[in-house]
Parts: sequence; C-alpha cells; structure tokens
Amino acid sequence: MQQEIVLAMLAKEPSYGYQLRARLRDALGPLGDALNAGQIYVTLTRLEKAGLLAVERSADGGDRSDRKVYVLTPDGQQRVAEWIAEVNWPKPDLAEFHLKLIAASSAGLADPVTIVDIQRRELLRRLRDAQRAAMAEPRHSNAALLLEGVVLRLQADLRWLEACEKNWTHRRSGS
Amino acid sequence: MGRILLVGRLALRDLRRRRTEAALLLIAILAATTTLTLGLVVRDAASDPYESTRAATRGPDVVASTGDFAQPADLEKLATDPGVTEHSGPYPVIPGELEASGRRSDVQVEGRDATVAAVDQPVVTQGNWVSDDGVVLEAAFAQFLDAHVGDPVTLGGRSFTVVGLAVTAAMPPYPGTSCIVSVGCANGAVPDDRDLPPELLHNPGLVWLTQADARSLAPARGPMSYVMKLKLADPDGAEAFVDANSGDHGGTMMPMQNWQSILADATELARDSQILLLIGAWLLGLLAVASLSVLVGGRMADQTRRVGLLKAVGGTPGLVAAVLLAEYLLVAGVAVAAGLAIGALAAPLLTESSAGLVGSAGTASLTWSTVALVTAVALGVAVAATAVPAVRGARSSTVSALADAARPPHRTGWLIAVSARLPVPLLLALRVAARRPRRVVLGVVSIAVTLSGIYVLLVLDSVLGDLAGTGAYTEPQVAVLRHVLGVWTVILLCLAAVNAIVLTWATVLDNRHASALARALGATPQDVTVALATAQVLPALLGAVLGIFPGGFLLFAAIITITGGDGDKATLPGLWQLAALVLATVLAVAALTAVPAHLGGRRPVTATL
Amino acid sequence: MNKAAGTPVLRTRGLRKEYGKGEGLVRAVDGVDLDVSAGETVAIMGPSGCGKSTLLHLLGGLDRPSGGEVFINSRRIDNISEKALARIRRTDVGYVFQSFHLMEELTAVENVELSALLAGRPPRAARRRAEELLDQLGLAGRARFLPSALSGGQRQRVAVARALSNEPLVVLADEPTGNLDSAATLDVLQLFEELHGYGQTLVIVTHDARIAATADRLFSMRDGALVDETRLTGGTAGNLGALIGLEG
Repeated sequence: MQQEIVLAMLAKEPSYGYQLRARLRDALGPLGDALNAGQIYVTLTRLEKAGLLAVERSADGGDRSDRKVYVLTPDGQQRVAEWIAEVNWPKPDLAEFHLKLIAASSAGLADPVTIVDIQRRELLRRLRDAQRAAMAEPRHSNAALLLEGVVLRLQADLRWLEACEKNWTHRRSGS
Repeated sequence: MGRILLVGRLALRDLRRRRTEAALLLIAILAATTTLTLGLVVRDAASDPYESTRAATRGPDVVASTGDFAQPADLEKLATDPGVTEHSGPYPVIPGELEASGRRSDVQVEGRDATVAAVDQPVVTQGNWVSDDGVVLEAAFAQFLDAHVGDPVTLGGRSFTVVGLAVTAAMPPYPGTSCIVSVGCANGAVPDDRDLPPELLHNPGLVWLTQADARSLAPARGPMSYVMKLKLADPDGAEAFVDANSGDHGGTMMPMQNWQSILADATELARDSQILLLIGAWLLGLLAVASLSVLVGGRMADQTRRVGLLKAVGGTPGLVAAVLLAEYLLVAGVAVAAGLAIGALAAPLLTESSAGLVGSAGTASLTWSTVALVTAVALGVAVAATAVPAVRGARSSTVSALADAARPPHRTGWLIAVSARLPVPLLLALRVAARRPRRVVLGVVSIAVTLSGIYVLLVLDSVLGDLAGTGAYTEPQVAVLRHVLGVWTVILLCLAAVNAIVLTWATVLDNRHASALARALGATPQDVTVALATAQVLPALLGAVLGIFPGGFLLFAAIITITGGDGDKATLPGLWQLAALVLATVLAVAALTAVPAHLGGRRPVTATL
Repeated sequence: MNKAAGTPVLRTRGLRKEYGKGEGLVRAVDGVDLDVSAGETVAIMGPSGCGKSTLLHLLGGLDRPSGGEVFINSRRIDNISEKALARIRRTDVGYVFQSFHLMEELTAVENVELSALLAGRPPRAARRRAEELLDQLGLAGRARFLPSALSGGQRQRVAVARALSNEPLVVLADEPTGNLDSAATLDVLQLFEELHGYGQTLVIVTHDARIAATADRLFSMRDGALVDETRLTGGTAGNLGALIGLEG
C-alpha cells in the first residue's frame, strides 16, 4: 500500500486505525476487500518512524494498537500537499505482452493468436467480475465510479487485444 | 455560368435519383395543364370561329327568305331599303333528299351563281365552288354524311358529284341549320308518336348547286322559295331591321334571321360542351391539386433535409432555392409543353360540331393567352412548391434541418385505442391511416371529387338519353355531347387512378419502416399488404359516399344553375345504381392499390431495419 | 446453464448467407453451427461487417439463409412459409434492435402491447401484460410517454419489454447498447442479467465487450464464421483488488 495514500486519508482529521480502514473501504467498495488490516498497520508504523505522523494515546489509555489515534506531523502535511500536486499516472505495461507475442512468434514457442485468445478470456472474466461488482453498487457512489474506471480500462485493453489478434492473424496468413 | 451549370446538375441528379416520384409529379402537373388547355381552347372555339367565318365569307347581317307566301319581288323591294348597303340573291331554294354512300338526309338546295357574290360567298374548305352537275356540301353536314370531294351523290333523283365542301356564316352549321324553304322544317328528334306533314324537311342539311341545276330539281307543285342575303349600314341594328321589315308584306310574313341569332345558334352546342368541359376542368383541377399536394408535400419534407445538406456543404440559401426551383421548372416545363400539345390536339374532338365554321375545322387554335395562362399555372405550382421548403430551409438552422429527417408521424390517440380491438390487418390499416391524417383527407377528397363527377355524368347521360327523344337536341348533337362526356370521364378516371396510385405509393414509402417493424414483430406479409391497401380503401369508401351525397347533388345543382336548365326533368340514379357505384369505386381502388401495397408488404424486412 | 439439459432452444447447422454473385459474392454468414440451450446467454462478438447481424436475422427468421438449417425448439424454420415464419417471430422470438425501433406515434405501453396484439392476444390482456412488464423494468411511471420523451436507456428498456411481451423462447438482441452511453449501457446490462436470472434464453450480437462479458458463452465471429468459443461461466478472475493494483 502506497504510503502517501494512507497519509492523505489522515489529512481530514486525526483518526483511529479502524476509522482509517472504514474510510478506505468506503472509497474503494468491494475493491477494498483486498486490503488487509495488517498491511495498513505496517504502513502506519513505517510512516511514524519516518516522522510523517505522530501517535496519540487515547484518553482511556491502554496500549492496544486499535486505541492509537494517528495525527499528521507538519512534515506529513507537507508530504501530502506534494503528493496531491504531483502529476502521476500509472503506466500500463503493454510492452511486456507485446514482446511476449513477438518472442513467441519468432522463436516458434507458441502461436501468438492463441496467447491473445487466452489473454482475452482472462480479461473478459475480469471485465465480467468488475461489471457485476459495478452493478451491485449504488449509482453515483465512490465505488461505482472507481469500478467504471476499471471497466473502461479493461475495455480498452480488450480492444487492443482485438487489434493484436487481427494483426497476428494477418501476419500468419500472409507469411 | 458555372453556377447555372451546378444548379442544373444538382437538379437533374435529384430528379433522376427519384424517377418514380418525378414521373408521378409530371403526370399530375400534366393532367392539370392538359385540362386547363382543353377548357380554354374550347372556350375560344365557342365564339371565334363564327367571327372569322363571318369575315371570310362576307357574312350577311340579315338573311331573308320568301317563306310561304312572300314573292321574290318582296325580297327585291327589301334590297332597296335605305338601311341596306349590299345584297346578293334572291337565290332559289328547293327542298330535296340527298343520298350519299347509303346515307339519306333531307336537304335544302340553294341555287348559286358560279361568280363571287357580294354578300355571303361561302368559303370552300376543300375542292371547288359549284359548277354544272357539281354539288357543294356544307362542311359540318358533309362530316355527318362522311362525304368527301369526288363522291357521287343522288339529289332529287339526279346524280351529282361532290365538287367541294364549304362553310357559310349565313346559317348555323349542321345540325343547327335554319329553315329557308317554304315547306318548313322539323329540327331535332321527332317523337315517333307525332305525325308530321310528309313534305316537312326533317333536320335538313345545306347544299349548293348552280341556279340551273337547282331549278331543274324544282318540285312540280307549289311556289319556289327564294333567299336573299343583306348587308346593313348598321350591323348592330340588324335585330331592329328584322323587326321593322319581317312583318307586313301585303298580309304575308317574311321570315328573316339576323346574324346575332345565327351566331347564338351556331355556337350553342359548343357552349353547352364548354360548360361541361369547364366544370370538368374544375373537378380535374381539384384532383390534380390533391395529387400534387401529396407529391409536393412528401418531397418538401425530404427537401427540407436536402436544404440542410446543401447548406452544410456551403450552399447559400439562394443556391438551395435555385436548385429546388430548377427541379420544378424542369418538370413544369415539360408538363406545360405536353399539356398544351395534348390539349390542342384533343380539343377538336370536342368542338367538331363547329366544323361548319372556318378556323375550327380540325384546328382549334391555341391562343397566346391560353399558352400564357397554362404556363402561369404550372409555374405557380413550381414556385409554391419551391418556396415552402426553401423558406423553411433558409430559416431553420442547418443542424435541425439535417436532424429533421422525416415528418414525424401524427398521433391520434383514440384511433390507436380503437384499432387495438380490431383484427391485425385492420389494426395496422387504421394506424397507417392515423399516421398521416392530411393524406387521408386528400384521399377522401380525391375520391369524392371523382365520384361527384361520375354521379353528374350518370345524371347527364340519362338526361341526354331523354332529350334525344324530345327534340331539344338532335341525335348528332346528343352524340357530340355524349362524346364530350366520354372524354371527361376518361380524363377524370385516369387522374383518379393516378391519384390512388400516388397516394398508395406515398403511403408505402412512408410506412417502409413501420411495415418492416410490424413484420419483425410477427405480422405476415399478407397482414401488411392488406393493411396498406385498406388504409386507402377505407378513405375511398368514405369519399365515395360523400362524393355522391352531398358532392354529386351539389355539383348537379350547380350545373343546372349555371346552364339555366331544368333539373326536375333529370332522372336521378337509383339507390342500387349508387350502391353499385360505391362498390365499384372501392373495388377499383383496392385493385389499383393492390400492386404497390403488395410490393410494400413483401419488401425484405432486414433491408429496412 | 447446463448445456446437457434437453435439446437446444436454438440450433443451426452449416448456416450460410450469401449476397451478390460472381466476383462480387459476399459470404455474410459462412457455415455456422450453433447450439443455444434454454436459459443460456450467448454473445457473438466481432468487428462490424463480420456478418453477426445477418446471423441474428437468420436465427429469428427475419431473413432466409442461402443454405444450412435453423431449428427453433427442434422445429426447422429455414424452409417454412412466410406466414409460418411470421408466426414463429411473434411467438418464439423477441427482437431488440440497436436503434430501438419503437413506433414514434405510440406511447411506451402501446409499443409494448403491439407485439401481443399482432399475436392476436385479447387487447385487455395485452395491455395488462404490457403494464406489468413496464413495471418490472422500472418504467411504470413512463408508460404513457411517447418514445421522444424517453432517454435512450429507457427506450431500449421499452424495446426489451416489447420483445418479452409474448414470452418468447429466445430474445435476440442486435447491438442493444450500440446507441447508449455508459450509464444507460449499465442499465441494459443489469436488465439482461435479470432476464438471465429468470432463465430467459438470450442471444446477443455486439461489439461491446461489456455486454459480451455478461454472457455464459462468447463466440468471436470473423468473416461470417464463428472462430472462437469462450466459456465465461464459473470461476472468477479472483481478487477484485487485483484489478486496481492495490494488493501487496
């Protein structure tokens, strides 16, 4: 889990760990199921060590981790502001698949069209899962918006696979 | 120059793209122009030929004959009247019987000089003027006899040869001939139950011989009749002259006829035909308008989109309007030319009763005013048809003109609700009809107009049948009027048929999509075919009923009023006749719409959806 | 969803459709063998012009094949009369079109009841069924609206209701989301999922991967032939979180 995300989720107000988790779940919907609590606490500990956030014990005392209230330090606030201003976009790693097809074809390891078919089946399954999840979400919810993004990216990938298939079929019949 | 070429090319291409539509449009405008031409030509024929004949033949202002008791001396004395400027005659007139190629007719034989007379010198239209043993026939009479120059004829037992045909303004053409023999004439049909004096001439024709030949045919008993033609100083005062002089000549009456009454007699028949024709022209005009508005209305919706398209690729509203106008002008131009030609060629068929007059025998002439009027009407249609989409196209934004692909169908809620309770073909038929109420109205009007016309034709036909026996008209006159009615009927039926097909075709095209959809949802091709046809037949049924009552009644009343006739004498068609007429109309419309509807019902579904 | 259960609702053998002749011969459908079981959702995907719409028309008896056989519920339909074909269309098949094809002058409920009326149902029963269907599809309040007053998604739902009004054996949908935006597409997808849940047999022709992904089986079509079959039922892709790269 990216440290900045956790930091940013704390920017609103000092929170308990379970509050932080609930906020993430709300934003991610069913996609948030992948997050496990441990992962988040590991990240929080790292951030504390880095001096980006401080921990306050809650009034009723106790030492259990779920009684800790996490607060951003000025450094932490600075980091969040930087992160918000950052222009950053995940790069789809198409080159790997592309090179896989070329390698398979040139070395005669496998039929690229078969690889494309298998890949497409996988993507279609993912699409269906995302689609089902999207349909289960209430309209205009945060999670529905995220799922729509997922669906649209998968569609784009499928379209590229279509182009790959057409191209490799053409090469096969052309050669 | 390039602009004109562009406009022409765009216009031609659009017409070629929709050939059927262009052809139907042409037919509709053509029908209108033809009818109009006919009406106008016949109107001219009713007055002009007599005038020209009168001029060409030095027509008399007054024709005087000796009648029963007057003597040639009385005629000579009349010639010295100070009001008379010129005269010819007296000429001998003999009653006789002429036989030509098996046909017999009574005739009045006028003995003439071979030299040219100062007044009333008949103009020879074929052959030569009288010579010994040579007879000249009045042109309309010759037409009735089917006699030609060179034919042998028997006259009063003697053989003669037809040497010529001629026209005169001294007497109305056959069969309106006035009586100048002393034995008297019976014009018109003679009722069988009346015994006429045997020597009376029955519908006599007019022939000319040399004086010598004429005298050789003189009857053994009774005095010879004489006729004299007079020119007056004051032709307009002919009637007063007749009143003053026909009276007392030593206790005898001298029969006289002034040129005005000859004119009236000569043109009577043409005028009767003309009234029929003009009323026919009105009906045909209405029908033409009905089909035009369907065609043009359908095109306008299409063209609004086309205007948007032209504008989208940079055409100015002016260019767009020019293209539309060019299209219509092209069609209207062809229709005007063809309509004038057909009208001019067909008019003589209706005016042949005037064959006894110069200028009308086979050449019912087109006047400039007729050409101008017919052209103006056709151009009016073209301009009106252009103006609406052009203005609408220029005013609407390009985008909305493009988006507004077709006229949205009309919704008639109650009809849709009612139709839900009907069997499938009727359900579809009512909905097809309800989508375009204006077209349904046009369909009803078109059939109603046709049926009114046919109703009146039926009444007139029976009236003519009755008249033939009463003497108001002679057989040939009735034949001429029947002929006019016949021409009327043919044009009326043709146009009505074109209308029915136009309406059906417009409906089929308009419902292409809805029909395909209905079939995709499980309607059979028969269902759709029956629906498309029924959508025409139902309005036709309504139109047929309305066309008879009140349409036909009103139209007949109008004709009676205009002609000043007596409507009480007319036998109105019986109820069963009317029922048969309605049934026949419905069947005819069903038959006419069957083919386009069948094509519409069978169209492959997938091609449309 | 069990393919072994009974005979297929829809079956084709060697189905062909050709247009033109000689040089210009186009094989729009070229030897298609297809079995669709009851309750199954089958999607056929392919680029435009691959012949998938033509195939759909042949399946529902809207068009006649040049060769091969089509069976609906074991009854051969490629060689029956036009009238019998019309009967099949009205009782056994429901169509959903890309451009909805609603009658503009009819309200939503009148559009839905139309196919029932064409099938000769009593008008009262047809109206009741149409209202029920619109109610089920969440359009109860729009029953008296004309299509022009409805959104794209609503129009397509009306069209689906019309397709269902005669309780067809199979619903054939031709690019049902082709004219819809993303949100309306989701609407229609949801609707098809529901139909699938009720056990309605569906054949959908599309080039929208989203709709294809909801199918039990997916065929790819190329140049008139089915070239690849993917069974999408059972087994999910696994953790949803994997889709957004949140794990690890």
